[in-house]
Amino acid sequence: MNFITKKAPIVNNSQRSFKRAFTLHFAIIATSIVTVVLKALSSLENPGELAVRAFFMIVVGALVSVLVELAYAYSEKDITKFKNYKGYVIPINTGILIALLLPSITPIYVLILAVVVGVYAGKLVFGGYGYYIFNPVLVGVIFAQLSFGTQLAVFDTPLQLLKEALNGATTNFNILDLFVGNYEAVAIGSTSVILLSIVFIYLLVSKVIDYRISGTFLISVFIISFGIGVINYYVSGDFSGVFDYVLVNMITGLTFFGAAFLISETVSSPTSRETKIVYAVVVAVLMMTVRVLGDNAEGLVFAILFGNMITPFINRTVKRSNKKTLIKTVVISLVFVIFTSIALGMILQGRVEEIYALVGGVL
Amino acid sequence: MITEYRTYINPSKVYIPITDSEYKMANVKVAVGDRVLIGEKLAEKFKGKNKSPVLSTVSGKILEFKDMIDRYGKVVDHVVIENDKLYEKFQHKTFEHSITTAEVRNVINNLGLNKISVDGIFTNLDFNAKSKYVVVNAMFTNEPFISTDYEFLIKHSAEMADGIELLSIAANAEKTIILVDKFMPEEALLELGKEIVEKDIEVITIDSKKVNAKDYKIIKNLVNETLSVNLVDNGVVYTEIGAAKMLHDAVRLGVPVVTRKVAITGDALNINAVYETRIGTRFTELVEDLGGYSEIKNMNLHIGSFLTGIQLDSDDFAITQTVDSVNVAEYRGVDEDVCIKCGDCNDICPAGILPQNIMDAELRSVNSRIVELNTDECVECGLCTYVCPSKINVLEWVRRAKRRVG
Repeated sequence: MNFITKKAPIVNNSQRSFKRAFTLHFAIIATSIVTVVLKALSSLENPGELAVRAFFMIVVGALVSVLVELAYAYSEKDITKFKNYKGYVIPINTGILIALLLPSITPIYVLILAVVVGVYAGKLVFGGYGYYIFNPVLVGVIFAQLSFGTQLAVFDTPLQLLKEALNGATTNFNILDLFVGNYEAVAIGSTSVILLSIVFIYLLVSKVIDYRISGTFLISVFIISFGIGVINYYVSGDFSGVFDYVLVNMITGLTFFGAAFLISETVSSPTSRETKIVYAVVVAVLMMTVRVLGDNAEGLVFAILFGNMITPFINRTVKRSNKKTLIKTVVISLVFVIFTSIALGMILQGRVEEIYALVGGVL
Repeated sequence: MITEYRTYINPSKVYIPITDSEYKMANVKVAVGDRVLIGEKLAEKFKGKNKSPVLSTVSGKILEFKDMIDRYGKVVDHVVIENDKLYEKFQHKTFEHSITTAEVRNVINNLGLNKISVDGIFTNLDFNAKSKYVVVNAMFTNEPFISTDYEFLIKHSAEMADGIELLSIAANAEKTIILVDKFMPEEALLELGKEIVEKDIEVITIDSKKVNAKDYKIIKNLVNETLSVNLVDNGVVYTEIGAAKMLHDAVRLGVPVVTRKVAITGDALNINAVYETRIGTRFTELVEDLGGYSEIKNMNLHIGSFLTGIQLDSDDFAITQTVDSVNVAEYRGVDEDVCIKCGDCNDICPAGILPQNIMDAELRSVNSRIVELNTDECVECGLCTYVCPSKINVLEWVRRAKRRVG
């Protein structure tokens, strides 16, 4: 009698990577549908047209992404992957995410170019899923944002209003509108935070995203925006300005969308727990820096791409993973985040000399 | 799923390998035609300075010496003994209640009890000056989910408790720990508890549904230092409770290991059973006793724990004292996906090293990086392969990396 000697017959562990991709697929499609419905119900100009455009963009994004992957597979003469639906899941995810990261006024040719660049230059040239170093979604989006800035410009998003408020303009935010996503959004995906947090928790429970990356990211954004808020908007006992600042930074823009879909993308993020925390902190700090100091009101795309860029380096810095290094990482990260929040807050107020004094005092 | 308890202790011939995976040299003490008794020395095998006897498990005439594969898949000389079914015993020295450390160690050496549990991080029953802790695994689970036998535990709990005490005497133990399963039947727990209540033994419960190397973490907390690949170097003797029973029999009754509980499972067999079988029985005879294989094309034969055990390409091996379970099942191949770098293996690794990064370094052949990542601390527990959502055999890559840097 002859027997096969391969891997042991372990069937108990039901975690599979394609199941995770399916879960993400389901979450993305559900998010897209609800987003389109919310767009149709919003109180912006021409909500119906915006919703139809958004829906059209999502479909085109998915379609173009699949077509690019299929064309590449044909050119490589290997289309076995696309025999069943399993092979289409990841291309569709990428396509929809690119569409969700662009505003609904985007011309369709920009979307198509973004998807082609993202999928081809961001993913396929590196060898496909599992091998790329930059998140292909963000490669496509950054291409579109840099090349077609004027076509994609959206005005009066809550984050821009917040920035203008620093220069003296007064803005009152309707909290309910912010929660249901009823505002000028920088992207289709920047929608109701209630929907996004449900999706976030679903993905967290089903282990598609890592709580150490997304959780650290959200906590860091909270701490930094709270620090900046306290330094700039705190008026003797009145916390409402601080509250507004934190809220707008947390629930509008791409903060929650990024936490749910972008920053925890496994292939382009680090692998061990310490490095995951460092990565999330770097992304959060960069995002807030861009938001506070840069021209761009939304800094997430740049920040995550920078995080992806330094991922091989941070991966190289760890040698082993134990309690001691974990505690060390958490403490250093926390100190760094708090220091950043104070520094950004003071820079925003033009009190740079005080920071020099602070640094000098510390040293 | 185990459906029956069976005994098969009267084979007509027994096949006893004279070497094993560690003791690779042997000195044969008998010749063809000799008559031997149960417990009589057939050969002495050597590992460096250490010597361990090979004992007969039946009484009868030696027929021949034959090359067969052993349970590790290596071709080894086996002594074939015809069983005359008289079961005459060669009387070894027995000890009543008080016994010294040296005496227990002598019994273990003279009756060849050093090597009983071989899977995972179990150690041999070796003792040295550092020996301080005894950890006994009473979960009877051969990770994932082959439960060897609770009936056995209930029936022999007194012997087992005594065996654990003997182990702690042999190790001069400061602390003795027994690991039990959260899902253990009440009755088994009660019987075991009754026997160990007056002895200085700590009981720790483990949730066996979570496969997360809890035993390793307990031992790590116990010794409070980096664990080496062989726990004996850290002063820990870690074994399963079956070994305690065998030690009791050896010390109190002067009987070497002649029978063994073996769980035979898998969907290639119509009946899954726990066997009490004589050591040296050929596995094919047990299969015949179970009614042969089902008609399955791709079969896969696995000995020992699923995480760390080994697979053979032939079923023509003899049961030894280190075989605790055999699984014969249809091979359900799952395709490996590409590594998605989720880091689950890095999180679960009980040694605290980073299997994914080691695999990456091995793929790129960067020796310095492999050394830098403390690859030599890998205990080959197999949890990285177990948790991998892409079903990559991570352990194999880590092993290769280990071999590359020596």
